[in-house]
Amino acid sequence: MTEFDEALTAFAAEVGTDGPVCVRGGGTRWSLGGEVAPGTREVQAPEGIVAFEPAEMTVRVRAGTPVAGLHEELAGDGQRTALPERAGGTVGGALMAGESSIACLGLGPVRDVLLQARYVCADGRIASAGAGTVKNVSGFDLCRLLVGSLGTLGLVGEVLLRTFPVGETERWVRLAGTDPGAVRSCYTAASVLWDSTDVWILLSGYAVDVDDDLSRLAALGACEDVDGPPELPPHRWACTPAEAAAFDARNGAAGPFVAEIGVGVVHASQPQPFRPVESGVVELNRRFKERFDPTGRLNPGRDPLRKP
Amino acid sequence: MHLGLDDDELVACVACGLCLPHCPTFVITGRDTESPRGRIALMRAVQNEGAPVTDDLIRSMETCVQCRGCETACPSAVPFGHLMEGTRAALAGAGRITPRWQRLALRTLRHRRLLLAGSTLLALAIRLRLVPTKRLGLPARMPLRRPPLRTSGDDVWLFTGCVMDAWQRDVHLAVQRVLEAAGAGVEPTGGAAPCCGALHIHAGLEAETKAMARRVMDGLSGDDRPILVDAAGCGASLKDYGHLLGTDEARAFSARVFDVHEWLAERLVELRSRRPVDPLDVTVAVQDPCHLRHVQRAHQAVPAVLAPFVADVVALDDDGLCCGAGGAYSVMEAELSRAIRDRKTAAVARSGATVVASANPGCSLHLAAAGLDVRHPLELVDQALSASRS
Amino acid sequence: MARTLADATRRVLGSRRRGDRAAAVPGADDTDAALVADLVEAIGADRVRADAAARYLASRDASIYKEGNAGPVCYPGSTSDVVECVKVATRHARAVSPRGAGTGLAGGAAPLGQPVVLSMTRMDRLLEIDLDNGVAWVQPGMVNLDLSRALAPHGVHYAPDPSSQAACTIGGNVANNSGGPHCLAYGVTSAHVLAVEVVMSDASVVTLGDLTAEPAGYDLRGAFVGSEGMCGIATAVAVRLTRNPPAVRTMLLSFDDVSDAATTVSAIIAAGIVPAAIEMMDQRCVTAVEDFAQAGYPRDAAAVLLVEVDGPAGGVAIAGERVADIARRNQAISVRTAADDDERARLWKGRKSAFGAVANVMPDYYLHDTVVPRTRLVEVLERIYEIVDRHDLIVLNVFHAGDGNLHPILAYDSRVPGTGERVQAAGREIIEMSLDMGGALTGEHGIGVEKREYMNRMFSAVDLDQQSRLRASFDPHCRMNPGKVLPSAHSCSDIGALRASDAAGVWG
Ligand SMILES: Cc1cc2nc3c(=O)[nH]c(=O)nc-3n(C[C@H](O)[C@H](O)[C@H](O)COP(=O)(O)OP(=O)(O)OC[C@H]3O[C@@H](n4cnc5c(N)ncnc54)[C@H](O)[C@@H]3O)c2cc1C
Ligand code: SF4
Ligand code: SF4
Repeated sequence: MTEFDEALTAFAAEVGTDGPVCVRGGGTRWSLGGEVAPGTREVQAPEGIVAFEPAEMTVRVRAGTPVAGLHEELAGDGQRTALPERAGGTVGGALMAGESSIACLGLGPVRDVLLQARYVCADGRIASAGAGTVKNVSGFDLCRLLVGSLGTLGLVGEVLLRTFPVGETERWVRLAGTDPGAVRSCYTAASVLWDSTDVWILLSGYAVDVDDDLSRLAALGACEDVDGPPELPPHRWACTPAEAAAFDARNGAAGPFVAEIGVGVVHASQPQPFRPVESGVVELNRRFKERFDPTGRLNPGRDPLRKP
Repeated sequence: MHLGLDDDELVACVACGLCLPHCPTFVITGRDTESPRGRIALMRAVQNEGAPVTDDLIRSMETCVQCRGCETACPSAVPFGHLMEGTRAALAGAGRITPRWQRLALRTLRHRRLLLAGSTLLALAIRLRLVPTKRLGLPARMPLRRPPLRTSGDDVWLFTGCVMDAWQRDVHLAVQRVLEAAGAGVEPTGGAAPCCGALHIHAGLEAETKAMARRVMDGLSGDDRPILVDAAGCGASLKDYGHLLGTDEARAFSARVFDVHEWLAERLVELRSRRPVDPLDVTVAVQDPCHLRHVQRAHQAVPAVLAPFVADVVALDDDGLCCGAGGAYSVMEAELSRAIRDRKTAAVARSGATVVASANPGCSLHLAAAGLDVRHPLELVDQALSASRS
Repeated sequence: MARTLADATRRVLGSRRRGDRAAAVPGADDTDAALVADLVEAIGADRVRADAAARYLASRDASIYKEGNAGPVCYPGSTSDVVECVKVATRHARAVSPRGAGTGLAGGAAPLGQPVVLSMTRMDRLLEIDLDNGVAWVQPGMVNLDLSRALAPHGVHYAPDPSSQAACTIGGNVANNSGGPHCLAYGVTSAHVLAVEVVMSDASVVTLGDLTAEPAGYDLRGAFVGSEGMCGIATAVAVRLTRNPPAVRTMLLSFDDVSDAATTVSAIIAAGIVPAAIEMMDQRCVTAVEDFAQAGYPRDAAAVLLVEVDGPAGGVAIAGERVADIARRNQAISVRTAADDDERARLWKGRKSAFGAVANVMPDYYLHDTVVPRTRLVEVLERIYEIVDRHDLIVLNVFHAGDGNLHPILAYDSRVPGTGERVQAAGREIIEMSLDMGGALTGEHGIGVEKREYMNRMFSAVDLDQQSRLRASFDPHCRMNPGKVLPSAHSCSDIGALRASDAAGVWG
């Protein structure tokens, strides 16, 4: 059990004990899961890095901190987190949106980065979930539940995140007119993107291994260095990896797209048609919301079932 | 009820469960009552906590194949074999297990002539289809006439035992030829050592077993020749006399006992140097009899001896899980025994082998009854040797 | 029909002592007879056992907790069998406790209040391998190692590898969010479970999570993993398949001094290397293991580290060299690299049999599973030895050093009067010390019943209230494996079923 720091208690005080309330992060995914109900009070999560422990590979950071700023700080010690860097996006926002970075293949999904969360509950009290260590199974896994919950179960103020060493070499390359399945043999691929003709690959790892994979790719066809990933169309589709690899723009009415191979996310020009959700799952979602936020004051109007 | 088990042996189990996947009855039933850990816990409950001996508890003990797969898997070195033998002895002593007819049947094993005569009768009955061989797990064809065993020298004893001698005399003869090919003069034990007592100890008949052990030791005393055994179950039993009788004499006796493959594996050079041999054109799967693998822990000698004489030796991928034969087990617990065997035949099928080599007669009969082509490893070696001889 | 059912029920309820017809089956009262009859009718006599022996054994797992008290034991063969059992149990106002292989070390599978026990061992099939989606669907009773073996021909494996993997089940792994040596780099069970089919406490069947990267709604899958059987019964699990690494290097580093080994661990992580595994064993543990496995561990070293790096060959060579360098700089007395797969397998077998091998030292053991910051291992180990010495006990240390997950094994002989108390006292001190260092109560074994009362030490009332909301969202009436994880004040109040084990003697 811990004493909470001032920034956190101040945040809790601001959230208060009643009335609809929402947290504005960077506003980059503001409409995800629905617009906030009109008349909802806006608060801001505290900002700043509390403690970065490179030798522990963890960082304690306040939820309002921009991810880009955090990563800049971590880069000083050759580390980063698996959170996606979206211009202006905050740590809290990235966690609550639950959308992984396009380097998910290499970094792992966002849901696995959260080790501990201190958040303000619907009744205004501060709760702590998870532990201050890289491994923990003490009790039920509230951290997993919080990631992607769009702030509808609790408002996160401070978190402990897992960090990773950045690969010794990182390189984006593009292979023209290749079947994305063919790059499977690349063990250092941290991202494989495919727009139905070309394949973009982020190679990350020891230089020797990246070079190895580069020569493997060169054997497949024209392979050129590029600055980064292609421009991603605005809409995120949730697909299975098999669906993503066989994605067909015409059938899916998705328009031009970029598919994350091996992961399943497809970035498309049109929004994804509604994917039916099992009634049992809908019922469970309802029960969770009801138990954690009986009066429905946290981020009213938002519903993770309506993602993406 | 006090089961007479050694308390230190009994408490050695820490209930980690690492033995579970190596227990054939647990693998089949998925029930803790049919697992080594469960059986030990029940023994403890009875001996230390005064739990009543219910029929269900007895079933738990009776369904154990006594394969001792759990023993080799156990990092705590729990001597399960002893615990189960002790438990059965106590239960038999209290008249709770081993029906009378089974006792009587086992008693005949001590009387070699009676057994041989009985076997001839049985063989006749089988040929006349008077006996349901499948159901009883008996071989579909048994020898009516047994070619005689002859002494060829005095380097080693070849233990011929009871049932195997009656039913599989051919195996002894093949083994003897292979030993001779390796340069050893062989004396079959025959009437000097009628029966090792393995089945008796399994059934919990401790006093009988001890008497038989003494008789075997008497019969083979007077020199310190190695005693070679071509049936894994008998070998295990003879090697355990030291523990069973607890005397120096018995320990010295047990030290003379070798599985025949174990002994031959040290003499492969001699065996192969006599003349060039063409390997038989078969792929052989080696079935590790539990008494060789888990009790004698000498199973690695079999593929070593066999390899030069056949085209290919393949290992089964089932971690040496028991085949379900277990002496009288295949008759007493027919259903479970067959379910266990089904896993073995599936493993053989996966291996792609056409012939199965088994160094134990009980396993051979049991597997042959499932339609597999089962041979003693040395029968194959003998066949390869004699093919190149001609 | 009625007659045969009655017969079957009688058979299932178990035998009485011969010639002792009057004596009731201990612990099985009349309500049980009705319950058993219904269970038998629902799933068949061969799938139900209610005799004293079966219930006695279903009451315990691999922990030292021995107060469990099982009702009838069912061996469902399908999801619908599970559904039926839950319905019958509910009708009889009885809880349901799932059970895997019973290798849990916290009493999670020890049933409280005579619930219907669902032993999942018969649901042990691999349902589907879907390489295109990188998943396999398996039944919960499948043994962890059997799964990896079945996957081997496809060049993939299931990454979480608890040391008990030869025996423990995927269902138990999911329920405990189990870890294992290779979870250092690959993550624990939660990171490898994509979806779970669950029979809920109201007997409905729901699939939590799906094969897409980011399923809609709350991460119910994530909330379910690690819920120790208290949120429903897993009846099918979609596990992520991990590509086999192209190269592996396994190194055995030996030290004269435990502190040097611990410093090496912290230094490896601090150098930005994430090996697949870093395991540590102290001398007493090495000796116990060698007696069984003859794995080739040096008996004279004060501590050894088993370090494995994997990935593409080039990086493996570099990381391997760096690890060796760090070890030498920290006074390693020897650095050995496994020459081949055989040697590698032997080293791992040794490590994985460590808990079991303890009995070579003492007949009983009690172990904690706390996690501490990996930068403080040296200090923590010193404290552990000090605590154990003070209580005049023996400790064997074997643990997942890379993520600071301790397993101090207190070995003792429960037959010696007074030892139990000393073991408890020392255990408590180890827990307090770990938590004071900023650690966690358990890293992979779970809370179960054993560590339940320590939850207050790690979490506030608010925290625990939030956890019980999670549980109640899944299981509002506390019908699933009641009495675990949450300390008494925070668990459901309506567990009438949690009658203390009635004094039914040893078979209770
Ligand atoms: C020698 C040894 C070494 C070990 N090493 C490790 C290790 O390295 N890492 C580690 O994490 N653990 C380890 N453990 C602990 C234990 O093996 C794990 O916790 C394992 O996951 C338990 O699996 P099981 O099948 O035995 O489950 P059980 O012990 O039978 O049950 C565990 C929990 O799961 C629940 N459960 C079981 N099946 C289901 C289901 N289908 N649905 C819902 N709930 C279910 C039970 O109710 C119980 O709460 C070790 C244990 C031993 C004895
Ligand atoms: S001897 Fe064989 S059947 Fe008996 S408990 Fe051990 S492994 Fe199981
Ligand atoms: S492996 Fe040994 S110690 Fe572990 S449960 Fe089995 S018999 Fe007991």
